[in-house]
Amino acid sequence: MNGISILIVIMLPIVGGVLLPLLDFDARRAREYYVLAIVIATSVFALSLISGSEGTELILYHLTSTIDIAFRIDRFGGIFALLVSILWPLSTLYAFEYMRHYHKRNRFFGFFTMSFGITLGVAFSANLITMYLFYELLTLSTLPLITHDGSREAKVAGVKYLVYSIAGATAAFIGMIAVLTHGGSLEFNVIGLGSAVTEANRAFFDGAFLFMFFGFGVKAALFPLHGWLPTAGVAPTPVTALLHAVAVVKSGVFAVGRVVYYTYDADYLAGSIVQKLALWFAAFTIVYGTVMAWKELHFKKRLAYSTVSNLSYILFAFLLATPSGLTAGLLHMMFHGLMKIALFFVAGAVMHQSGRTYVTELRGFAKAMPVSFGVFTVASLALVGVPPLCGFLSKYAIASAAVEEGSRSAYAGLAALLISAVFTALYLLTIVVRAYFPGENYDGHNLKDVTEANAYMTVPLVTLAVLIVVLGCFPGALTEFISGALSTAFPGL
Amino acid sequence: MTNVFTLLRITDRLSLQFGSDAVGRFFLCLVTIMWVLVGIYAQKYKEHQKHNARFFTFYILTWVMLAALTMAANYLTMYLCFEFMTLLSMPLVLHNGTPESIAAAKKYLFYSIFGATLGLLGMFFTNAYGTTLAFTAGGVMDPAKIAGKENVILWVAFLSVVGFGAKAGMFPLHAWLPTAHPVAPAPASAVLSGCITKAGVLCITRLIYQIYGTSLLRGTWVQTALIILALITVFMGSMMAYGEDLMKKRFAFSTVSQVSYVLLGVFTMNEAALLGALLHAAYHSIIKDGLFLCAGTVIFWTHKEYVSQMKGLGRRMPVTFGCLAIFSLGLVGIPPFAGFLSKWYLASGSLSEGLPVLNWLAPAVLLLSALLTAGYLFPICIHGFFPAEGEPEAEGKEGSGLMLGPILILAAATVLLGIFASPLKDALQAAAQSLL
Amino acid sequence: MSLIPNIPAFSIILLMLCGIVCLVLPARWARHLADCAIALACAMSAVLLVAFMRGQEVFTYSMGEIGAPFGNELRAGPLEAAVATLFSVVTLLSILGGRAHLRADIGKKKVNLYYISVLFLLCSMLALVYTNDLFTAYVFVEINTITACGIVMSKEDGYTLAASMRYFIMSLIGSGLFLIAVSILYALTGHLLMSNIQEELAALYAQGQYRAPLQVAIALMGVGLSLKSALWPFSSWLPDAHSSASASSSAMLSGLVLKSFIFLLVKVFYRVVGVDIIRSHAILDLLLVFGILGMIMGSVNALFERDLKRMLAYSSIGQIGYIFCGIGLGTIAGVAAGIVQVAVHACTKAMLFCAAGGLMDASGGSKKFKDLEGAGRRDTYAGVAFIVGTLSMIGIPFFGGFITKLSLVTASVEVGGWRSTLAILAIIVSTILTAIYYINVTAIIFRGEEKTPTRASEKLREEWKKQMRLDTEYEFAIVLFIILNLAIGLQSDRLMDVIRAGLAVFG
Repeated sequence: MNGISILIVIMLPIVGGVLLPLLDFDARRAREYYVLAIVIATSVFALSLISGSEGTELILYHLTSTIDIAFRIDRFGGIFALLVSILWPLSTLYAFEYMRHYHKRNRFFGFFTMSFGITLGVAFSANLITMYLFYELLTLSTLPLITHDGSREAKVAGVKYLVYSIAGATAAFIGMIAVLTHGGSLEFNVIGLGSAVTEANRAFFDGAFLFMFFGFGVKAALFPLHGWLPTAGVAPTPVTALLHAVAVVKSGVFAVGRVVYYTYDADYLAGSIVQKLALWFAAFTIVYGTVMAWKELHFKKRLAYSTVSNLSYILFAFLLATPSGLTAGLLHMMFHGLMKIALFFVAGAVMHQSGRTYVTELRGFAKAMPVSFGVFTVASLALVGVPPLCGFLSKYAIASAAVEEGSRSAYAGLAALLISAVFTALYLLTIVVRAYFPGENYDGHNLKDVTEANAYMTVPLVTLAVLIVVLGCFPGALTEFISGALSTAFPGL
Repeated sequence: MTNVFTLLRITDRLSLQFGSDAVGRFFLCLVTIMWVLVGIYAQKYKEHQKHNARFFTFYILTWVMLAALTMAANYLTMYLCFEFMTLLSMPLVLHNGTPESIAAAKKYLFYSIFGATLGLLGMFFTNAYGTTLAFTAGGVMDPAKIAGKENVILWVAFLSVVGFGAKAGMFPLHAWLPTAHPVAPAPASAVLSGCITKAGVLCITRLIYQIYGTSLLRGTWVQTALIILALITVFMGSMMAYGEDLMKKRFAFSTVSQVSYVLLGVFTMNEAALLGALLHAAYHSIIKDGLFLCAGTVIFWTHKEYVSQMKGLGRRMPVTFGCLAIFSLGLVGIPPFAGFLSKWYLASGSLSEGLPVLNWLAPAVLLLSALLTAGYLFPICIHGFFPAEGEPEAEGKEGSGLMLGPILILAAATVLLGIFASPLKDALQAAAQSLL
Repeated sequence: MSLIPNIPAFSIILLMLCGIVCLVLPARWARHLADCAIALACAMSAVLLVAFMRGQEVFTYSMGEIGAPFGNELRAGPLEAAVATLFSVVTLLSILGGRAHLRADIGKKKVNLYYISVLFLLCSMLALVYTNDLFTAYVFVEINTITACGIVMSKEDGYTLAASMRYFIMSLIGSGLFLIAVSILYALTGHLLMSNIQEELAALYAQGQYRAPLQVAIALMGVGLSLKSALWPFSSWLPDAHSSASASSSAMLSGLVLKSFIFLLVKVFYRVVGVDIIRSHAILDLLLVFGILGMIMGSVNALFERDLKRMLAYSSIGQIGYIFCGIGLGTIAGVAAGIVQVAVHACTKAMLFCAAGGLMDASGGSKKFKDLEGAGRRDTYAGVAFIVGTLSMIGIPFFGGFITKLSLVTASVEVGGWRSTLAILAIIVSTILTAIYYINVTAIIFRGEEKTPTRASEKLREEWKKQMRLDTEYEFAIVLFIILNLAIGLQSDRLMDVIRAGLAVFG
């Protein structure tokens, strides 16, 4: 397929989103059809591009002599695009119902749809600068979604998000320019720094790596740069779910993956000081996130901290800088997306149907909302890592990669992984237990007016649960697809 | 493993497979028989509690998982069944719905999952350093791969065994057991104590004999450390039981101690000790189920839960207390009751293994613990049958057939399997040989 | 192409002449004449720029046939041509963009004076760009000061009077210091032509003579010109002056006037004092540090400001800090980054001030944030302009601001050492702060109910429509500003080539 098709798939939702506030639909139906049409068309188009047009390139613009704005479809980005294209239509559907009681829905769905295109832009970028462009745009397009309800709390969260993200992006940008000025390449089809590295400037490249790692680490919620993520939980749930479990945070993780495997390479990083440092940070974040999640009683914030921890699983896997680390990270990126969005959707359904926001208020809810909590149980078990659900596979892959790598820092990460698995079980299963087993002295009066969410919410939920189970049992096709990324990142293999 | 059946092939390395071998079959039989007997008992006991549909659902599901666990043919399947068994048996613990039972269930969950997670660590390393994840006699570790990494592998082996030891109530992950078992309804306590702890034993057996291999572990610090842990547990459990007044809790502490007898045999890694371990697994299941059912009967009719409240009850409930006396004799290990033979093999196995200090320390601890066992079990019967002068007449009556039947069967088994032990012993000897 | 070397002198003289003629024309004609003259200056500078891009050599033009060392010289190279083009284009667009306000703000009798001031202002700025003579520079500095105060004062309300008096005093101190420095240099070297001074200074420096007076002269130059170009902490006069003036005055003052002094400063450093001497001098480090402080302090002040034009003015202080940061790095790449920022900020800030005028019109003349809610919806051009401005300030690729950030980061990374660290940290902090207050203001001007406008806002919209009936000029200016910004973002290679070529032949 022609390179222009990449541009189309990115621009379609962006233009569609920009037009939405201008078209200013009054009728809910009309808006829903419009948004859904755009989102589904984009998804289908994106999926067809991923499956059929790998290697397609489009150099959109020579920005300067050394910087191009260019797109390329490769497997690594294709995996991210796949995740996004699967989840976006589901969340859109969910958002229709969830946002019914909010104002300014045209604006909301406008930015919501735009973010889709921008995320695809991140996935299909052919070099770091193009990715930086979309990365910054993603911050801007999701900011209005976070502050959507206009409350003071939301604004504070928005400012916090902005400060963290912009700081991170700028730091990453400085890292990129540093690489560029010392002869490295930011193009993803040039693996590694090649001959640019000498003994003399190695320290310099190390510094640049740290800038990029911590810069992109902001969106990947790396400790101590994670503060925005739990705060941003004030956003409407479809936003928290999609952007803070899938698009935004994953774009941070994705970017780190790009830096590790494409800008730098395994030869450079394996065994280096910076790799160790980064691994330890990731390992610490894994533990920190789960412990905080365990302590947190606010439902969505608990999930947000869980995200903090799980993102560092992926970072950790990527940072191992081995082929199995790469595939393990990608696998967890996919699976965590599915599981976490399902969990967030349930939290949102609970808020939407009953207004409860704390995990302590959920006694006996499984009776009132059987579908939601059924899905919640499945997703929780998956996230804990119970075989044969999908979360087990990815955690298993990460742990195996760490064992295989065999360094001290890898073992530290392994220990973090195990500790985190226990806490994950605690903070998720206690919710499940409370919902299913309310206890003796419980009369259920506070459940009288709580009902199961309608099909707009349950259909995405059930779809996700099915995906979690099926992909856990039959991951063959997916793992094969993911291992396709190896050939681009490790040309020697 | 024979008759291997692949349920699901997830990736090349990972699959859900079931098969059967002598040890697995033995545990399967044991578990199933116990489950049926306790199930019959529960048909009467259920009058005592609410939400019976839920109770029996999870009762049966737990059995399914336990049965699957005995037939698991590889590490992954075992881990899966182990996790699900935890999750499905947890509702049994919190069945009463009181704050204590919910707290106990959480504790149970935490310890079990923590243990399972350590077990998972073993799987990660087996995946990397072994030839396969399937259970194979003699272990699967690839000597070429572990060359130079022995110490790491030993640590992993130690940690994963300790992890699965959580289920078997082994120190240091034993603390959940005395909390969780007593708060469950009596039938659930019986199977939790009698059978589910054996799942931990089975997993550890599989790890030591069929994953890491005795050749790797024998004589290393890991073996020493594990034996020491087992001995600590044996002694500590007895001591705690001795000091406990709440009857079910006393039995639960007794479980902590007794299951570590079994583990001691498993860790000793020779045929006699392993035979003793398997025998003791069987005997302890029978006896402990019996004890809990007796306790349940007492609670069912009199709502008395403390040992000190038992005074004079034996006269009102002669069959129950008679059986209780038989179980006590068996567990202490008075010949010809069941417990004697197993302890004999355990002690002789341990003496012949020739580990410095431990070879005589282990039998000594076993003896000491047997004394303590006598000390915490006999007073119940003594209180029951011989109340002090001037005690008021106790209330209570003998139970129905549904409750007494299973207890009587278990008591008969305690006697008969002690006297006519050879068929069982031969079968288990074959099983032990197949492992070594 | 014998005409080319005449362009600098001709454009300066043309503007001056037209300014004088304006005095006697009716107001309307004065306006048209001014427009035409400025447009002509644009065209001529552009022609000059194109000539340089096609390979025209650097040339020196002696005024009145009197040769060095006594004569008055103009010197033009690619850099001068580029800056001159930028200045005249932005002046033209600022005039067009703020026209509606000029009508409202300036009394009928003052219209001629205003246009005279504008013409002389541009004239002086071009002269500062081209001149190769320190004393001429001083003369035009003074003209610049007077006319700049004039266009502030022309609004004639209490605020502007107070503000312009303050501005005037600060400016005069600045030019006074500059004059003293010129005298010292003249005393040291006996020359006023820049190139000649440099030769003499190099000789003196090599002999190790007169180090102290030179030190003093450089310091005085630095302080004087920083004062006039509002380097923090000499910037206290700026917010009042820039925010109270009429829209196009603000646009020119913020966008251009400050920059003309910065350009002069660069010239003094590299053409008068010389590269070698200046690099060994602490003044660059001082400029770097104060530039960085300005980047942060300007943004911090802007963050807490609730008045649109004052916010933009504080933002200028921050942006000027970027320029000084670039210059203070002391490398060619650093100076190039500074000059790119001159260009980017000139068109962005001028655009924002014009757009701010539009927003104020759409909100009943108020520039307070609380009254501006939804103004961006009512005046779509201004709304889009603020979006573009915001994206540019954050540094999104395709926009001018990205190029600034790119070149400045490149320069700071290359420098190494503590300068590098400091500059990088400052860029990060300042980017965050800038993003916050620009996004905040953009959010405010787009806030408001969808669909159901309040009665008050409906009324405002009606009034505004009535008022705007003639204002295609404003729309035209805004669109061109946006195009200019994007052009810098998209064609940065050419810009950088010109700047590098210009700097190579600058000293």
